[in-house]
Amino acid sequence: MNFASTLGKVIEISHSNLEIASRVNAILNIISGDLHFEEVLVYTLDSDKRLSCRYMNRNSQLFDLLNDYRCHIGEGVVGTVAQKRMPQFFTLHDIPPRLGCLFYSRLDEVLARYKSFAFLPLADDSFLYGVLLCCSASKEGIADKERPVLSILARELGGILRTSDLLLSSKRRIAELATLSDLGRILTSTMEPHAILENIALITAKALNALFATIKLDFVFLKFNGQRFTSGTIESAVEAQVLDLESEALRLKQPVSRTDYGTPQKGNASSVSLFSVPVIAKDRMLGTITLCRKHEQKDVPDDQEDRYLLNTIASYISSGLENALLNIKLRDALRELGDAQRRLIEHEKLRSLGEMTANIAHEIKNPLVVIGGFTKRLAKKSHLDNSEAKYLDIITKEVARLESILNEVLNYVKETSLLFEFCDINNLLDEILYLLSSDKGWENILVSKAYDKRLPPLMCDVQQIKQVFLNILMNSFEAMHGNGTIAIGTEAATLDDKPFVAVSLKDTGGGVQSSFLDNIFNPFFTTKERGSGLGLAISKKIVTHHGGDIEVQNAPGEGVTFIVYLPSKKTDERGKAWNQ
Amino acid sequence: MEPIRILLVDDEEHIRLLFKEELEEEGYAIDLASNGFEALEKLKAQRFGLVVLDIKMPGMDGIQTLNEIKKIDKDQPVILCSAYGEFKQDFSSWVSDAYVVKSADTRELKDAIRKIVERASPPHENS
Repeated sequence: MNFASTLGKVIEISHSNLEIASRVNAILNIISGDLHFEEVLVYTLDSDKRLSCRYMNRNSQLFDLLNDYRCHIGEGVVGTVAQKRMPQFFTLHDIPPRLGCLFYSRLDEVLARYKSFAFLPLADDSFLYGVLLCCSASKEGIADKERPVLSILARELGGILRTSDLLLSSKRRIAELATLSDLGRILTSTMEPHAILENIALITAKALNALFATIKLDFVFLKFNGQRFTSGTIESAVEAQVLDLESEALRLKQPVSRTDYGTPQKGNASSVSLFSVPVIAKDRMLGTITLCRKHEQKDVPDDQEDRYLLNTIASYISSGLENALLNIKLRDALRELGDAQRRLIEHEKLRSLGEMTANIAHEIKNPLVVIGGFTKRLAKKSHLDNSEAKYLDIITKEVARLESILNEVLNYVKETSLLFEFCDINNLLDEILYLLSSDKGWENILVSKAYDKRLPPLMCDVQQIKQVFLNILMNSFEAMHGNGTIAIGTEAATLDDKPFVAVSLKDTGGGVQSSFLDNIFNPFFTTKERGSGLGLAISKKIVTHHGGDIEVQNAPGEGVTFIVYLPSKKTDERGKAWNQ
Repeated sequence: MEPIRILLVDDEEHIRLLFKEELEEEGYAIDLASNGFEALEKLKAQRFGLVVLDIKMPGMDGIQTLNEIKKIDKDQPVILCSAYGEFKQDFSSWVSDAYVVKSADTRELKDAIRKIVERASPPHENS
């Protein structure tokens, strides 16, 4: 017998690219053929540390009898070899009946066909992967020189099984990572919370191959209190157990599991296992996620790993819910902001409508007084007949009615009035600059002043006008990023033949993009990151309110000049101006 | 007895005419001014028992005129008579002795005038 050629073939197959199962089966066939064993079988270790017969050589007859039962480590000859990791060799004379295991009930007649048996552990230095069982009908015993060969082959098989283990666990790990990345994508999305929860249930059920996955929220949270998000169907038979398990998980604040619940029906060998994990965020119990899986005797899932994954998912959910909560708060805040904005714009519209109404009412009032007044006089003086007197009475009454309507309208559109006082605009500007100079960052702003010392007297609401210049100066300051020159000038000006004081404020802030120019006085228009967009709008309003105007001269790349026109009195009134 | 002299200041001709006739009927002697400057000139030239002053006028408005009048004579009685009520909020208007909203119904104005005239020269003590 050429052991070397056998080993050569085995090593070649062991390092091939074939599927794990194909490699094992091929090697078992080689052992069977070259070493003359009728039966060459491999037991592997399941995740629950039980041994089951999984691989066989061609024409094996024992396989069907052996793979009925999964034996524990230490049980029977197979279990003992696995436990001690020592090969054992028997002949028909000294082999224990049924390989020492009570549960191989159908082996009794079959074992007698074989004369010799070899049991070898499939292990490397640290781990056991299974047991190799070889039976021969022709050999009287396993020869001494054959034993090391079998040991080498067993080691080779162990290596393959080890690869298989590694491959399986990395596949599982990849699947886990894929699941977690799916979850991550959902949790960081801006989906509605209920959609997020439904998706998590779906992904969890799929990833863990579950009958259903259900998330129940117990915390009064996002109005979801007591709501359930389920992927799959909760059968009525397990419903009570699910509820029971959920409350237990919440009570114990840790994962709980139950097996063998379900519907034991005839012919249905499977039962279900339930596993419930509490969802905890910052010591707050938000709810539970519960998984229900088919629990089959033959196919034991790797529970430990799956539980780890479910725990991870539970912590993902809690952070996801926190995110969702924040998202909702953010959305609410945005909506409120939008509402406030709309209300303000609406208010602005009403205000301009109000201004127009007030103007019309003002214009009408005086003529109305004249009409009404003289009608009354006419009625008093003339010696009219009854019907003529009646006509005048009607006119008088109608004028009175119009007057009262006008008064109502004026009351309705009344604005907070301006508190006029005489003001020296140069002093006012100096005062504002003094105020600003103590602000942080203003030390790098160069201010040049060109005041007209002989300005006509000006009457204005000083507080409001102060606000106007402050707004404009702050805008310039921000446009110049705290570094540049502001040139301020005052002079008398004439617009439409009326006297005005013109205040120009020129900055070196690079100017305004020309497409923005039309909008800079519109409410809520801003190019600043943290601007309200109201500063210039308010300024414009105040100045307009005073009967003045703001003009913008834009030099893109250089800067902007704001010119504020405020109506003044005639220069010759200056001496007569308010004097105290 | 000399009639009480009232200076009526309003930029609208028809309003001046209406109030003049209405008040003359009450026995007052009415003088007219169409703006603040004219009013101040007349006040410097002679004494008036009362000034009825419009507010919205071109040039110098009623509030300013009021202040100028009070500078000339701080005891000069003045009634502000505007088409609009909102100047009542302007505290500069508070130095006036009364504030009347213009109306085709002149009774309010007449009442205000009567009260001020009676206060200045109580009829019983005068007789």
